[in-house]
Amino acid sequence: MATLSEKVLTEAERNNRAGAEETGTTEPVRPAAAPSTPVLSVRDVRISDQAAGQEIVHGVSFTLTPGKAVGIVGESGSGKTLTCRATLGILPAHFEVTGGSIEIDGQEISGLSSAQWTALRGATISAVFQDPASYLNPSIRVGAQIAEVLKVKKGLKRREAHRQAIELLHAVRLRDPELVYTQYTYELSGGMLQRVLIAAAIAADPRILIADEATTALDVTVQAEILDLLADLRERTGLALVLVSHDLAVVAQLCDEVLVMRQGEVVEQGPTHEVLHHPQHEYTRLLIAEHEQYGLDKFLATDAIDATEAAGAVAAGDKVEESA
Amino acid sequence: MTTTEAPATPPDVRHRIATTGARHTLGRVLVTLARSIAIFVPVFLVATFVTFALRSLSGLSPARIQLGEEATPEAVARVEAQWGLNRPFLVQYVDWLGGVLHGQLGTSWTNGADISTLIGLGLGVSLSVAFFALIIGVVAGFALGTIAALRRTTWIDRAITGFVTVISVMPAFVVGIVLVAVFAVGLHVFPSAGYVPAAQGVGPWLAHITLPAVALSFDVIADVARQLRTSLIAAYRENYVTGAIVRGLSPRRIFFGHVLRNGLGPALATLGLKFPTLVGASVVTEWIFGLQGFGRFANDSAQAGDVPAVQGVLVVSIVLVVVFNLIVNLVLARVTPASQRGV
Repeated sequence: MATLSEKVLTEAERNNRAGAEETGTTEPVRPAAAPSTPVLSVRDVRISDQAAGQEIVHGVSFTLTPGKAVGIVGESGSGKTLTCRATLGILPAHFEVTGGSIEIDGQEISGLSSAQWTALRGATISAVFQDPASYLNPSIRVGAQIAEVLKVKKGLKRREAHRQAIELLHAVRLRDPELVYTQYTYELSGGMLQRVLIAAAIAADPRILIADEATTALDVTVQAEILDLLADLRERTGLALVLVSHDLAVVAQLCDEVLVMRQGEVVEQGPTHEVLHHPQHEYTRLLIAEHEQYGLDKFLATDAIDATEAAGAVAAGDKVEESA
Repeated sequence: MTTTEAPATPPDVRHRIATTGARHTLGRVLVTLARSIAIFVPVFLVATFVTFALRSLSGLSPARIQLGEEATPEAVARVEAQWGLNRPFLVQYVDWLGGVLHGQLGTSWTNGADISTLIGLGLGVSLSVAFFALIIGVVAGFALGTIAALRRTTWIDRAITGFVTVISVMPAFVVGIVLVAVFAVGLHVFPSAGYVPAAQGVGPWLAHITLPAVALSFDVIADVARQLRTSLIAAYRENYVTGAIVRGLSPRRIFFGHVLRNGLGPALATLGLKFPTLVGASVVTEWIFGLQGFGRFANDSAQAGDVPAVQGVLVVSIVLVVVFNLIVNLVLARVTPASQRGV
């Protein structure tokens, strides 16, 4: 089996074809029917704040097989980020997994030593986050940070790491990889930084990529491009995605399965189209209704926009951007 | 649009961009250097002018030193004319500054010796002690600050913080006397006083400068350790550390490659401020350890009213401090490009 970055590189030319195939990936999946073994299984995970002595996440379960995508939607503080951090082993101080189990590539994470975690991260599971600039070192050129991952995780020599880092920057569709390689974070835009962060995250050929609000801070067109890139990576390399967002539209675009979380509980879970078309829980219905109410479609559909509606459109401007 | 599909880049373009990176770094160093020198020149001119004005302001005269209090006005005028002091002030200043730029600091009023030579002799002693103190301070402060940051909020951190606080309030002359009493008089490990140049053997040279250097280093240890601890802990809270963790880098690599690099800036800047203090404090330690150093020379000249010698001391001090800060600025520019952006 070819490694992830090799696949990215050799098939970089197939971008257009892959983009065309992407429409097929939004079909519902039946996890039971999937032949491959899960790369990530989360079973009834509970997370508690030990300092306050209260449970924050009350049981989250999902499984992820290669090439599939799971979406977690919910408002701020619903526990979606904590769940991700638990699977990465980077829970904040005082927070602990107090119930359930997490298996990464068949390996139960609760007994992992620090060295085992270091070996697992980057090579098997990796992540990108909101505010990409802050997740890259401001004092080091971005290219060198990708090359560092290649040197450490894949044992490449300096020159080879440099070459592959530039190819990774090319693979995440940055137009001038050689130039970007030599730049610092403050010299790049948000969309470019998120691409660089993705390149660094996939450098060591992980099997799982967690995207925690990775497109939240980006404007709509750049968000669409990044989602397209993630879909493309998943399609061509069999990368399994966990996509966390507060935006139902983002998740709907990319994921096979969706979990709706609220106040630490999974209120609804199922194939994306099921959840979107036949929402069972009140909160899911509310999320969908808000999209229908404030979405751009509504304004485009209305032929005669009177003065009051125009005023409403201005007031809901930020909502429009989120849901488009 | 910067993020669309890239066309295949021709090889010559790759080469050009690779060299652009190197030129970028060189350019940054040159800009820092030019900016520092642009600051250095006016500082040097103003400082030397004030220094030279000292003689006129103090009213001191070589005639008083050579002829005593009973000299006649004619004799005083004759001696002052010999030293060229009857010329206009600005002429004297330009003449003196020209000499300074050529390394000539003039002649001592008390013994007619060349001041550059006298200062050169003392400076060897003082710089040996100051740099040794700096090395001890940086190594010990670095180790203590790093350990405290890595074991933050544990008893190790508290013990180090406590120890550092105690040594930071101990003046060099007290430490010096205690060190002499314990290590020289009590244990006979080190000589209690005197100085042997490095040319006569590195062993004896180190033995003679160790105690004064240790006495001077306490302040540096305390400042470096506290500054480093704070900035390392702050750096560990940054998101790029989380980023490095999820990319699978080892804790050791994250510390040396990412945290230290960003946490080093404030500690380095502290060192730049610390160096003048070291030169200043050397006056006291040189008395305690019987060293004929730069500080002792400054003190003796000032007490004798030997104005050209004091002026020479000040000029050398200005140059030392400014050059040391220039070095610190260059290192900072290399370590953290952020410092160039005023972030």
